[in-house]
Amino acid sequence: MRYLITAGLVGLVLTPAGAADKKEAPPKTAPTYEVPYRLTDTKHVMVRAKLNGKGPFNFIIDTGAPALILTEVVAKKVGAKEDKGWVTFDRVELEGGLSIPNPRGIAIDMFQLKGMNAMGLAGVELHGVLGYNVLAQYRIQYDFTDTKLKWTPVDFKVPAPKRIVDKGGSQGGLEFIGTLMQFLSALGGIKPNFEIQPRGFLGAELGADSDALVVKSVLAGGPADKAGLKTGDRIEAAKGKSLRSAEDLLDAVKKLPEGASLKLSVKRGDDTKDITVELGRGL
Amino acid sequence: MKRILAALLALPLLAGFARAEDKPVLKADSKPQAVKFDLVPSGHFIVKVKLNGHGPYNLIFDTGAPSTLITPKVAREAKLIDKAKDRPLIPIFGMEGQVKIKEFQVGDVVAEDVSAMILDHPTVKLFSKEYEKKYGSIEGIVGFPFFAKYKMTVDYAAKEMTFVPSGYKGGTDVMADLMQTVMNSMSSSKPQPRIAAPAGLWGLELDKLAADEAEGVNVKAVLPGGPAAEAGLKAGDRVLTIDGRWTDSIPDAYTAASFVKAGQPVAVVVKRSGKEVKLTVAPRPGL
Repeated sequence: MRYLITAGLVGLVLTPAGAADKKEAPPKTAPTYEVPYRLTDTKHVMVRAKLNGKGPFNFIIDTGAPALILTEVVAKKVGAKEDKGWVTFDRVELEGGLSIPNPRGIAIDMFQLKGMNAMGLAGVELHGVLGYNVLAQYRIQYDFTDTKLKWTPVDFKVPAPKRIVDKGGSQGGLEFIGTLMQFLSALGGIKPNFEIQPRGFLGAELGADSDALVVKSVLAGGPADKAGLKTGDRIEAAKGKSLRSAEDLLDAVKKLPEGASLKLSVKRGDDTKDITVELGRGL
Repeated sequence: MKRILAALLALPLLAGFARAEDKPVLKADSKPQAVKFDLVPSGHFIVKVKLNGHGPYNLIFDTGAPSTLITPKVAREAKLIDKAKDRPLIPIFGMEGQVKIKEFQVGDVVAEDVSAMILDHPTVKLFSKEYEKKYGSIEGIVGFPFFAKYKMTVDYAAKEMTFVPSGYKGGTDVMADLMQTVMNSMSSSKPQPRIAAPAGLWGLELDKLAADEAEGVNVKAVLPGGPAAEAGLKAGDRVLTIDGRWTDSIPDAYTAASFVKAGQPVAVVVKRSGKEVKLTVAPRPGL
């Protein structure tokens, strides 16, 4: 099973039927763009794009795909126009300020995305992939120790990708995987949750002092201030777990939303006491 | 029923965890190594890959592939089969399990301990049929476990990639991580929302009404003495981007802040009285 699913994650896509060639103007020379990305839970390189000013939508960078491919629902939502097997857009902007010239794509529900979305595997909802017809217009630098990709336009006239399919017009019979994953998630009662909540706010600047976590300042009016935390307090434990650094505390609270209470063991002078903070809204 | 299904699916998923870490490939000289590729008419590109000195074989280079794939035929030739782990009971697509390839060489770039799956991917087969005459058969896909180790550039115009080891280790246990992800999604039918955790203290309160569909989020309050106040953010500002990331919703703003480490100055673009203003904020250690 897991092999099937893993096979279903490979973003190798062939050009679907009917996508005819069309001339594209060479991209204008422009500076390098820093495009923020994130890795999904499935280790796909994901960027965000606004199509015709709507979105943002989540796209996988996929040299294994012939073109920009997006779900039919998104194509409809952004008002993409049909043009000989392709869909065209007035504007496609990537996060980071990059606008793709003469953008066009293919509206089709890829089985890979269908399956991943049904199970919520990527941790985010995926709306499409960016493939050859977009990627080939740029020299792209990937560096997973950095938070951004670097895109530099290059002068390359991208020909329309050739279509390869087997007799039935299929991509080798893998399409069932998406449906299978949908079926399994329905059977297992899996409802992916793509909702994101802000972590709760303490309102304290932290520092280290000879192996101890120290409150460097307390922001006036913030939750830490209201709960009575003071500058100079040493936080020895949170939720009963001992701490030594700001990172330890960040790690201990990383899953606490607004309104959660956080019990801190605090040493002030020679006294040790427990302070319970109700985490607030802020960052 | 649910539980039975989850258990059935979860059990095999557990196997194959806890394996040795990939070693990052770090060499003293950091000159980028170039690798030429063949761009084929379908818009894909092919690289020459040697597996433990065997080959070279044609593989498709696929940034959209979380795993590296090798055909059973080539795996046998390169003597990888005996070492395969987690061989499935019913080998669909000729699956022979996973291997860690000691020397995975793309062009002149040699990576150590690259994990790969052995299987006959039907799409790879189709490609092979299409391109066999001109390039020879196609024997798999180069995916994330290889390229994650490098600072990599891809240039279609020059038909060339370049690689410099980056020291990134997150490509290590991709397969195990994937299995974990699959298992997590199966084990809970009511997954909790994710929490976006800023990596530093900003001293800022944001809000946005549900009916507000315009770009950006509102600054509700700036806490005196905090990094945001110091940078000149004001209540009433509309935050459009944080470090280049769109902040069109509260979750987006927190997600953007999760990428900004304490002490790292980043651009924050706000709309203030109709004009865009670019400020620089360096969040501090804290929360």
